[in-house]
Amino acid sequence: MSKCIIDGREVEFTPGQNLIEVAKKAGIDIPFFCYHPGLSVVAQCRMCAVEIEKMPKLQTACSTVAAEGMVVKTKSPRTAQNQKAVMEFLLINHPLDCPICDKSGECDLQDNSYRHGDLYSRYTEERRTYLDLDMGPVIQKNMNRCIHCTRCIRFGDEIAGIREMVALQRGNNTQISTVDGRALETDYAGNYADICPTGSLTVKDFRFKKRVWFLKKTSTVCEGCSRGCNMEIHQDANVIYRCIPRENMQINKYWLCDEGRFNFQYVNDENRVVAPMVNHSVSDWGLSIDQAKKVLMGKKIAVLVGSDLTQEEGSHLLEFLPKHFPGSPIFHFGTPGLNTAEKDGDADRILKRKSKTSNLHGLEKLGFQGFDKMPKEINAVLVIRGGRAILPDLKGLVAVGLGVFMAPQVEEFSVILPGTSFAEKDGTIVNYEGQAQRIRRAILPPGQCKGLSEVLMMWVNSKSSSGAA
Amino acid sequence: MLDEFETLFIQHFNDNARSLAYYLEKMQGYTASKKALAMPQDEVISEVKKSNLRGRGGAGFPTGMKWGFIPKNSTKPKYLVCNADESEPGTFKDRDIMRYTPHLLIDGMVIGAHAIGANTGYIYIRGEYTREAKLLQVAIDEAYSKGYLGKNIQGSKFDFDLTVHRGAGAYICGEETGLLNSLEGKRGEPRVKPPFPAQSGAFGGPTIVNNVETLAGIPYIINRGGEWFSKLGKIEKSGGTRLFCVSGHVKKPGVYELPAGSVTLRQLVYGTCGGILGDKKLKAVIPGGSSAPVLTADEIDVIVDIEPLMKIGTMLGSAGIIVVSEDYCIVKLIRRITRFYEHESCGQCTPCREGCRWMEDILDRIERGKGREQDLALLLEVADNMSGKTLCALGDAAAGPVISFVKKFRADFEAHIRGAKCPNV
Repeated sequence: MSKCIIDGREVEFTPGQNLIEVAKKAGIDIPFFCYHPGLSVVAQCRMCAVEIEKMPKLQTACSTVAAEGMVVKTKSPRTAQNQKAVMEFLLINHPLDCPICDKSGECDLQDNSYRHGDLYSRYTEERRTYLDLDMGPVIQKNMNRCIHCTRCIRFGDEIAGIREMVALQRGNNTQISTVDGRALETDYAGNYADICPTGSLTVKDFRFKKRVWFLKKTSTVCEGCSRGCNMEIHQDANVIYRCIPRENMQINKYWLCDEGRFNFQYVNDENRVVAPMVNHSVSDWGLSIDQAKKVLMGKKIAVLVGSDLTQEEGSHLLEFLPKHFPGSPIFHFGTPGLNTAEKDGDADRILKRKSKTSNLHGLEKLGFQGFDKMPKEINAVLVIRGGRAILPDLKGLVAVGLGVFMAPQVEEFSVILPGTSFAEKDGTIVNYEGQAQRIRRAILPPGQCKGLSEVLMMWVNSKSSSGAA
Repeated sequence: MLDEFETLFIQHFNDNARSLAYYLEKMQGYTASKKALAMPQDEVISEVKKSNLRGRGGAGFPTGMKWGFIPKNSTKPKYLVCNADESEPGTFKDRDIMRYTPHLLIDGMVIGAHAIGANTGYIYIRGEYTREAKLLQVAIDEAYSKGYLGKNIQGSKFDFDLTVHRGAGAYICGEETGLLNSLEGKRGEPRVKPPFPAQSGAFGGPTIVNNVETLAGIPYIINRGGEWFSKLGKIEKSGGTRLFCVSGHVKKPGVYELPAGSVTLRQLVYGTCGGILGDKKLKAVIPGGSSAPVLTADEIDVIVDIEPLMKIGTMLGSAGIIVVSEDYCIVKLIRRITRFYEHESCGQCTPCREGCRWMEDILDRIERGKGREQDLALLLEVADNMSGKTLCALGDAAAGPVISFVKKFRADFEAHIRGAKCPNV
């Protein structure tokens, strides 16, 4: 193993690693703005410049590859002076509007300013200002806050595969913008806000909703497609405010698509059915279960299971359904036109998959079969889903729903038993590569919503006899 | 001392010289490339090494050594690029070479291309040089038609294609990696080094970027030998003659060709150029284009060459010598120079993008008589925070002059601040 010396400590590295990564592994933080491990290295912000023995000039740690025996000083007076200077340069034209900036609290510029900057400004000139054009529905731009790190330009170019962010003008007037001021086109626009080291690009949906330091973070996995991108749910007082990607180099690296990022919105949606419903009006749990059993009684029932359920839920159902719905066929559903895991594939060249549910591959492993078309003799269905699987056409059959439903769907069901979404339960999902991952409960279920196992237990213990049995 | 030598370039600086016929007849045209194409590549490079030819673009890097950096067994195509951007203020020598002796440059490029194994070459010429670009194209067409360029040059089985590429007016496209980005059709911004162009340059291939005057000297080296060329220089480690561009307040401004290291700055200003306009006193000399730190009237007894000037803290750069007489406001001058760098900063790296404008603002304030006592210290600190800390050399080019002007002419700045106006008006 090769070794170099950083701040007097011997640090091991793999050849080819840059000094920021090597130092990070040893617990030494070198501050930076333009560097991002998932993007190309441009060494533009100059914040990460460090002193290296035998080199007359400071060297940027992002663009310097560690070498055997290299002696690096990340906290020397010269390094510190440069960091202070870069902070001063970056802040002379920054509006310092942290009190009204959504990035405040998780802002690289703010953090590094506290750690490495000066308390006072020597700048007496007028600050540079820009006019901003609208960048579409996802991202809010504030060019005045921009520090020209060009991460967004490189993200568009290198990851999203669309060169929509560009630098216009030159020198001090350089403006980071979309080409011709157009709206962003990529389906991955939310990442622009994640990688922006200041509040220059923020997510419109999250704007002015919550100070970030109030947010509680739960590590979980996106349910938006069969890739299973790792992400964090951020909530406060049982309300989800946003989801952001979580690094997983095997699956999604640092990124998340907008569909996955904003998928959580249905969880807090005011249209969500959060109380048991019988014949389109609110009821209570006991009566609803009785009614459900009643409407299914004596019918030829098919059970439709959403492939947005977890492995645990799937296993429960495989125990429960044969006992209480003997002889009823069981199908999984989720993405129209895609009824087996075999048909799943990449939907783009980045992250998205064709299967719009998270656990299609897992449920098939448990033995569930895909829903193709309703067998002729069927005249009632029991639909069990999370919040993501897309309902097939029920053709006006008698239907009982268990899980997450929205107000407009109520019409189709005689009984609805409100269940939990991915954010309200723990469990395991299996992605298209067979990788099992944990999803974790971030918030409590709203209203009278109950977890699947609890509902099944109530079904078993309810006084009236089971639907088909 | 200066009478008895034969100039390499200036004697041909007339309108008749640019034709192929003149080049063939009077300048042993294309015999050098014929000779070089018969030599092994290493031999050409070692001849150039022997010549002590140092890059004429500004950095003064030994040309032979630079050519030697090209990897021998690269799978990617190699490129030879001629830097004809000549963007340093005070420099106007390459323009004359391209205007009067374009074939000399083409001849030199064929030799260089052979030495490094490149089959494609570009002349990246600054956008403002419209006439020179046209003249070069005429010369290139002539050379193609007679088999001095193109396939199987002079029966040597060596192919070399040469294209004139016009810039769009950015100073930074004279910096070699900025030039390469511009050549590739990207924003003219310097790249992070390493990798250096010799490893990965134009279109990712190994690339050598040489100045016009550098390449135009090559045919002489091949025809008359590296040693002969080296001996033209009157100072160690610097061969050949040099073109000096003298501008400003001298009686006879212009391009002068002198053996490298043969004169002092005083001899050049007062002898060759006939002294200061109106016989005024000398105030300052900028010896190497506007990015070189300034010299005072007391510092001009220095040999005008790379190392003597480096020893006293400035540089020969592109040999653009700007002479300033006593009645020109030194604060106005440095403000104007800083304005240039502020305008030309590409804007990608922090210290240069923010620092250049800040320095200009402070200097502007001082010149208008609105400066404050603490502004000089602030100015020096801002300049120091840029020096050596930027992505390319433009930060140094902007900060170096400011530091030297304030240090050497502090009284002038203080007079502006205390008198609340420019004392010269």
